[in-house]
Amino acid sequence: MRKIREILEDASNGICYDSYKYCADDEIKVPTLKYEENQNFTILKDRYGETDTSLKQTKDLTKKAKQLSKTEPLFKFFLDGSRRTYKVDDIEINKRIFPIMAGQIGVACCERKSPSKFCCCELENNLVISLPTEANPEVKNTELFFNNIKDKINLIERVKKAGVKFSNVLSYSSKLNQDSADLKYEHLGIAAIQDEMVDCEKKIVSNLTNKNLLNEDNYLLKDGSLQYKPMKTGDYKELSKIKNNFRCVIGVSKLFNPEFSKDKSGKSNAAALAKLKLYHRTPAYMFQHDMEKWSYLGDYKYSVWYVRIRDSKYTESPFAGIVKIEKILITDNENEYGLESDLIDVITANIINERNPVCYGNDKRWANHLYPVYLTEKFLKSKYLSDIHFLNLF
Amino acid sequence: MKQIGKIIATEKVPTTVDDFFFWTDKELIIKPFDVVKVNHIKNSITFGVVQEISHLTDNSSFLAGFISSDFGDVNYQQYTQRIGMNYVHAKVVGNSQNIYTPVLDGSYVSLADEDDIKEALGLKDIKNPLTCGFIEMYEQPNSVTIPVHFNSHFLIGPEGAHLNISGISGLASKTSYAMFLLKAIQDKYLESKSDESVAYVLFNVKGRDLLAIDEPNIELTDEDFGIYKMLGLTTSPFQNAKYFYPYSKDIFSSTYGRDVKSQMELGKACLYKYIFEDDKESIDLLFSNVDDPNQTMESIVNYIATGQGGFNGITNWSELLKEVYEHTKAGSSGKDKEITVLSWRKFYRLFRKTIEKTTIFSNSLSSKAKDCEVRLKDSILNIQKNDLYVVDVAKLDEETQGFVFGDVIRSIYELKLGQANDRSESEIPSKIIIFIDELNKYASKEVPKSSPILRQLLDITERGRSLGIILFAAEQFKSDIHDRVKGNCSTHAYGRTNAIEISKPDYQYVPPVYKSMLTRLKQGEYILQNPIFRSLLNIKFPKPIYKQFKNG
Repeated sequence: MRKIREILEDASNGICYDSYKYCADDEIKVPTLKYEENQNFTILKDRYGETDTSLKQTKDLTKKAKQLSKTEPLFKFFLDGSRRTYKVDDIEINKRIFPIMAGQIGVACCERKSPSKFCCCELENNLVISLPTEANPEVKNTELFFNNIKDKINLIERVKKAGVKFSNVLSYSSKLNQDSADLKYEHLGIAAIQDEMVDCEKKIVSNLTNKNLLNEDNYLLKDGSLQYKPMKTGDYKELSKIKNNFRCVIGVSKLFNPEFSKDKSGKSNAAALAKLKLYHRTPAYMFQHDMEKWSYLGDYKYSVWYVRIRDSKYTESPFAGIVKIEKILITDNENEYGLESDLIDVITANIINERNPVCYGNDKRWANHLYPVYLTEKFLKSKYLSDIHFLNLF
Repeated sequence: MKQIGKIIATEKVPTTVDDFFFWTDKELIIKPFDVVKVNHIKNSITFGVVQEISHLTDNSSFLAGFISSDFGDVNYQQYTQRIGMNYVHAKVVGNSQNIYTPVLDGSYVSLADEDDIKEALGLKDIKNPLTCGFIEMYEQPNSVTIPVHFNSHFLIGPEGAHLNISGISGLASKTSYAMFLLKAIQDKYLESKSDESVAYVLFNVKGRDLLAIDEPNIELTDEDFGIYKMLGLTTSPFQNAKYFYPYSKDIFSSTYGRDVKSQMELGKACLYKYIFEDDKESIDLLFSNVDDPNQTMESIVNYIATGQGGFNGITNWSELLKEVYEHTKAGSSGKDKEITVLSWRKFYRLFRKTIEKTTIFSNSLSSKAKDCEVRLKDSILNIQKNDLYVVDVAKLDEETQGFVFGDVIRSIYELKLGQANDRSESEIPSKIIIFIDELNKYASKEVPKSSPILRQLLDITERGRSLGIILFAAEQFKSDIHDRVKGNCSTHAYGRTNAIEISKPDYQYVPPVYKSMLTRLKQGEYILQNPIFRSLLNIKFPKPIYKQFKNG
């Protein structure tokens, strides 16, 4: 019976080492947080992220939240993506040794049909392998080459018997970035898998938009930041389409580096944030990605603000209980003046109303977690193959 | 049928030969005793009976629940309810192809239809069917009502015999259930052309409970009659009933019955008496609840019955009393050193109390037909097929009640053994069913071991099956009953009882959920155990078909 590594050896003229296989998520420090917060995006100084420019301090939304709690919730769809990565082998190509990374990617969108009915609406569950670009002995036809490998792998008896299918063989560039010295090939492999996951997320958002499921009354709440790293392959048209898909999408991050939160003058806002009162939100700031580096992306701005959903007396750190909310600015008007403050209030009040139930005891991040997101995450994880099962495919 | 969930087998809670677990929607209504079926290997079907239903959420602790209500705000309403599901613990009762390997994770679980339920519970193709109630399963629109039948050979012999009904007074309606079964038996044997025949001896121990069983219950509605018809029973009250009231000059002083006179005129009631000449040998029964470790009471009874000392030639109860009194005098025990004066005194005290209090001890029987006076023993010895005797002991004191009961079962025993008279075996009913409430008075664990009634009851439960003497007994607390008496019953009916009772070892084998169900069973609901059923059954039965007296 042929093994996956034999196929890889054949195709890449390399030698596999049959080294120790493990789940990379725990072993290697994964640049997830960094990924969300790496400063591809800079705050636009002296620009407000919202129309109400008089708001200098925080704003109390207790009343608004109470008032809205009697109406239908704004958020109906909840999106979460996650991936589990594994280092499955090392391969020697051209006297250099590269890791072979593999991963399970899951992106789920759940729908809240009623308070008691929560169900899956879209699910992407993919298995991928990530190889260095060197694996392709030729310069041309990269896509074709990796596709070919994928097909061959899917024909392997063991893969078939397990009833699974690899959806993609990804490639990562073996060029080490000099700026970040701690970056290793493993990280590059994982990054490729992460990119694939982000693509999946975008695909699902696009699906929902195509089905006309998202509108002013039915928002999508995405776990994590919306600050997608611009794809190197992305073209402007594609991006503007993506941008439009995100008209009714909010990104909520439970983990954020408070040091990166800046006020509109660009100074660190961490101390003020720590003192944020319960159910208060900060003014919204406007962010933009690094225009110098990614000028081809055009105008791509965000409004970002923070809200405290849990009293700090109950939480373990002053930042627990605060979530960061982002929304992509779509229209010219928004790009110019920021989001309507009223909309921001409604969104924030709805987030406040999502604070319960809590996953206290099940998740250390309970103070920052929103329960529907937590459920989506749980659902997603339940769909993964077990680590042992997955690793034994190799 | 409707699929309601799937099997879950986990590392910690696997499915086994005996049990399985499945999840269901949290709003699905299902209850203990409901039957479910599971698709199993080789296209077979495994049947299970629901035991425990649990609701589960991802709440890790009570504290998380408190926090989720906005740190203790009872009025707080949330957008999302916590995710939750129900999981059900079911007990395997069978497989369509006798495959008993555990059911597999992810297998479909569905409700069962009538046929499935019958197969699952062992109610299919029952031989010698005898109605014992009906089961109701599931909620509308899936509800199913199925009549349940015993195999009569397992209730009234020859394979198994005796019934024990337990439950607290009033709420359990023990008498009603026993009477319902007797009604079913009477219906069956009145029409039966087989050699088997049945006669009944019932004791009325409470008010007028059983004193009008051949009169209809006017409170029954068409719906009640419908249930009787559904169960294949007639809607008429009991037939061939004959009532035996304790004799007294003023009849109302010895019975709660009000219609004694009219019943006597109709020829279906008699007054019973005990005559010294014929019944002196039974006086041991008067002392059955007296602690008698040295068997002095027994010796005295023996002494009297054999006519020793001055007891030879005595012809009536008062002379007997007088003679006993003679023996209580100091120095009178010269002749019979074995029995001390003190014992005679005790005997005298107890004996006098009973003789003077009750009126059934008499010197002679009236020979006039209109007086309808009988010796109970004579009537019992002449009991005919399908006869239904109701012996009223409700207003008698406890000792006399025991005396009458003991005397009746002793007579039945003698009749069935063929010692009593010259009746040919074919003439005697092949089975005689005795129904007694308050069994605890005669066969509780505290009754002295020497009690003649207890000995008689043990005889019946242990050997009665082969003789055709069947005991239907009821009591409030089963745990009080002598182990050998209840242990020999093939059928047990558990009505509503209380928490203290179910904590006793008698209920050890009952699953915890059923135990707590026992404490809240409705009137007209029983949990049945019979050798032919594969598991305990929660059955219902209709309201009594005979006249009910609300105020006793």
